Amino acid sequence: MAIVETKELTKVYGRGDAAVTALRKVDLRVEPGEFVAVMGPSGCGKSTLLHLVGGLDRPTSGRVALNGQDLSELSDDALTRLRRREIGFVFQFYNLIPVLKAAENVALPLVLDGVSPRKAQSQAQLWLERVGLSDRTDHRPDELSGGQQQRVAIARALASEPALILADEPTGNLDSRAGDEIATLLRRVVDEWKRTVLMVTHDPRIAAYADRIIFLKDGTVVDEARLVGGNDGAEKLVRQRMEDL
Amino acid sequence: MSYYIRLALRYLWGRKLRTILTTLAIAFGTMLIFGMNGLVPAVEAAYRQQLMQAASQVDLTITGETRSSFPETALEVVRGTPGVAHASGSLVRPVVVPPADAPLLPDGSRLGTIVLSGIDPETAPQVRRFEVVSGRLLQPGDRNVLVVSESLARKASLEPGDRLRLPSATGVATFEIVGVIAGEPGAVSDEVYTPLPVAQALLNQPGRINTIEALVVPGSDARAVREAALARLGSGFKLGENQVGSELQAAVEMGEVAFNLFGVLTLAMGGFIIFNTFRTVVVERRRDIGMLRAVGASRRAVIGLILTESLLQGVVGTAAGLCGGYFLALGMGAIVGPIWSQALRLSLGGPVFKPATYVLAIGLGIGVTLVAGLWPAVSAGRVTPLEALRPAEGEASWKPARRRAAFGLALVVVAVLGLASGNLNLASLGAVLFLAGLVLVGPVLVRPIAGVFGRLLELVLAQEGRIAEGNLARQPGRAAITASAMTIGLAILVALGGMTTSLESGLFRYIDQSLGADYLLMPHSMVLGGGNVGAGPELAEAVRSVPGIAEVTTVRLAMGRIGDTDVQTIGIDPESYPRVAGLEFSAGEPEEAFAALAEGRALIANGIFSAQSRLQVGEELTLQTPEGPKTYRVAGIGMDFLNAKLATVYVSQENLARDLHETSDILLMADRAADADPAEVRAQLERIVAQYPAFSLLSGDEMREEYKQMYGMAMRLLHLLMVTLAIPSLIALMNTLGINVLERTREIGVLRAVGSTRRQVQRMIVGESLLLSALGTAFGLLGGLWLGYVLVGALNATGFKMSYFFPYSGIVLAVAVGLVFGVIAALLPARRAARLDLLAALRYE
Repeated sequence: MAIVETKELTKVYGRGDAAVTALRKVDLRVEPGEFVAVMGPSGCGKSTLLHLVGGLDRPTSGRVALNGQDLSELSDDALTRLRRREIGFVFQFYNLIPVLKAAENVALPLVLDGVSPRKAQSQAQLWLERVGLSDRTDHRPDELSGGQQQRVAIARALASEPALILADEPTGNLDSRAGDEIATLLRRVVDEWKRTVLMVTHDPRIAAYADRIIFLKDGTVVDEARLVGGNDGAEKLVRQRMEDL
Repeated sequence: MSYYIRLALRYLWGRKLRTILTTLAIAFGTMLIFGMNGLVPAVEAAYRQQLMQAASQVDLTITGETRSSFPETALEVVRGTPGVAHASGSLVRPVVVPPADAPLLPDGSRLGTIVLSGIDPETAPQVRRFEVVSGRLLQPGDRNVLVVSESLARKASLEPGDRLRLPSATGVATFEIVGVIAGEPGAVSDEVYTPLPVAQALLNQPGRINTIEALVVPGSDARAVREAALARLGSGFKLGENQVGSELQAAVEMGEVAFNLFGVLTLAMGGFIIFNTFRTVVVERRRDIGMLRAVGASRRAVIGLILTESLLQGVVGTAAGLCGGYFLALGMGAIVGPIWSQALRLSLGGPVFKPATYVLAIGLGIGVTLVAGLWPAVSAGRVTPLEALRPAEGEASWKPARRRAAFGLALVVVAVLGLASGNLNLASLGAVLFLAGLVLVGPVLVRPIAGVFGRLLELVLAQEGRIAEGNLARQPGRAAITASAMTIGLAILVALGGMTTSLESGLFRYIDQSLGADYLLMPHSMVLGGGNVGAGPELAEAVRSVPGIAEVTTVRLAMGRIGDTDVQTIGIDPESYPRVAGLEFSAGEPEEAFAALAEGRALIANGIFSAQSRLQVGEELTLQTPEGPKTYRVAGIGMDFLNAKLATVYVSQENLARDLHETSDILLMADRAADADPAEVRAQLERIVAQYPAFSLLSGDEMREEYKQMYGMAMRLLHLLMVTLAIPSLIALMNTLGINVLERTREIGVLRAVGSTRRQVQRMIVGESLLLSALGTAFGLLGGLWLGYVLVGALNATGFKMSYFFPYSGIVLAVAVGLVFGVIAALLPARRAARLDLLAALRYE
């Protein structure tokens, strides 16, 4: 069973003359253990797709299913629980709580789920260690570099052991070196920790880390590419496809 | 510690200054409510305890229903009741010891009021146990001797052989202390005992007593005996000791309501600041909140987080307020105590905090904070997880909603009705509702008012002024909420200004009217019934015989009872009193009223009593007297200064003597003949007063000066409170301006990008702040004037007749405060706006 499946997913913002169709009848399947990147020019609807898949927004028509569960059937509370347990989010601006230390930020989804603070803390330590920040557990976000903050955000996304990680421009606010580190880490999320990653990016170099790339234009899926071989070749391919769009 | 509490604490800690300032606002309101409510019972307790006779452990205590004396023959009636073994009569009255004769106390003050018991040395020990500590008990045949209670002896370092001078109807009497006795368990009064005939002579009550104590025959039914004795005595008697204080009840209640109104308004402002702060918090933390929602926090969890923060502030602020209130009560006690002791000859004890005071202060402190945090918390709960990824801009702005304005208007109407009701509790609620209504109506008034002030502003800050005006008009809801912070603070300022101006003129008019004589022979306690010993007719005669004195009038006092209220019954001479002094009338014609007093059983009721009992001129009242119930007709409603706070009626001295058996003069007033030499007259009067230490001689001018000083001190305290009240509104203005800058970060970035200098951005924010404070000041003036007017109206309804005076100085002060606050409040946000990193601001979402 696909971990993510959308059927004729459509999202329209505004009404009447001001209506803008962000997504138009998008069909998408993501299999467990896949690393999928969504690319496309600005305003093509890639972030909207991510929001709908993550249950952050409701579609105008069509459906989204996670592990076969139709999200449109879920109440706000059920969606909240689903986000807490089944999905991990990574945002462009890290979105860490500024007053919490790194370990506390990572433990947050677990605490929200009722896990005991001690267990949540030890789980957070473990994940910070895995992302290479075992020496930064007591640092607040403003004491960390952008790349380190994003690694904390990835640790947070993984802490509740979700099957799916949704990443919205995770390297958009980082320099290329830090961006590569984050993309490598996301690759490990799939290869080593056996999670599924759906990532939105506009950077072909970062998209090249994925297994599969979906190209969106004007709210519809226009192309798809499965990447094999080294990063360099993949990057070239992605650039070529983007230019074609 | 719960994760939410930790998170809330971290957030609060992260904004220390703001947390402290908002918490202070709650602390301040709680402090006022707690402190003042702790002080009022202390005042009440001092009055009640020190003037009340101690309860004794006898089977039967009978006193006059009206607290007046009754003939000694009543004692025989009780003795003749089957089942009564022993009975003894006494005359018990609080007596002010003249300061010149009063022993020094360890704290440096002088002994004030004592309770004098005239007892029968033979029969009293049969009903009460007197345990001699030193010296001896009273003996038959004793004359001017005293036995004092152990507590008084210890307090004033008195021992057998010492002498004590007490005022008497004929001047002064010297007593020798012959013994010290252990006090009754639980007794708090400073008691002294003297033979009954001596007390009767001292108090000008020959042949009269006011208390009968008895023991029943062992084995008989004490209750049945009590009832039988009371039945044999007929009307005018009651079981139990004389209680003092119901005539003070209305004044105490009014004091409590006034303090509570002040406290509630302060708390309302505190709540408003909390509300504003949390609005800022929600705007600032949209992204954090969105992220929390995205990673699985439910709406309830987010609401809980914000409420936890407000609860923490409420708890800390309330706790600080309770501590502050305790010290406020102590401090106020220290300031008021000496005045109180000088004016009333009673010592004020420490603050008394009843459980209800704790409940009120804690409930209001925490309750207001939680309620204030609720709206922002709910709006935080509405933040969608999407806003973590793509926060929307300026969501916190409110459009002028007609429905909300209509609701506001309805609140204003309800407030008007509450204030017009004349009930102070409804008036207090009405005051809060009025301000709340004004805040809600505000948004629809923003555009026209901003237009008017904007034109003025453009004269000074041409371009920036126009942008500032546009910003305000574009977000009327936000502008109104910001301005309303000022509105509440300034409304209170202006209202209090109006009330104090009116109060001042009203009080001094009373003083001029009722104490306007050239000379006053004043008792030592300003509460006439508070232990002052009156003088026999000889004193008035002596004053009258002084060459150069044109007219003398005297005031006498007894306690009567009308319905359930003890009323001070003041005896005046209806002919001479209006010529030398007078009453301030609020109903009825003075001439007719005084004439009615001279003609028969008629009375003039004072304002507070008539408001309490809703009296009408012409109505008939039943005054309980030792002679039985007597019907008096209300001839007018009028009041004098000294008794303005106590339920009081004025009757003729003839009726007072006939019905209440009181003929002692407690206050004398005299006018000088036009051609008399003031120095000569004064010297003569001083010689007379020297014989009567219960009185002190004051000229009318001295009297006014003394009251002016006292009033001045009270006003200085009030002004201090007013200024401290204004400060929270500055905090609120700064907070809301802070939000404005935050919400428009990107817009400011654009302004800078298209060529605005940092200085221009600063000027724009200052211009906006000035416009907002002008708006707040305009609303504040409007609300304050109205509020002041109705507060004075409410005071009138409670019996204090006074005209409303337009508070010019209050308005000037409010406008000045508004302008200055406008600039001060803008300084920090303007600096912040000007220093925004251009690129970061443009990137800000």
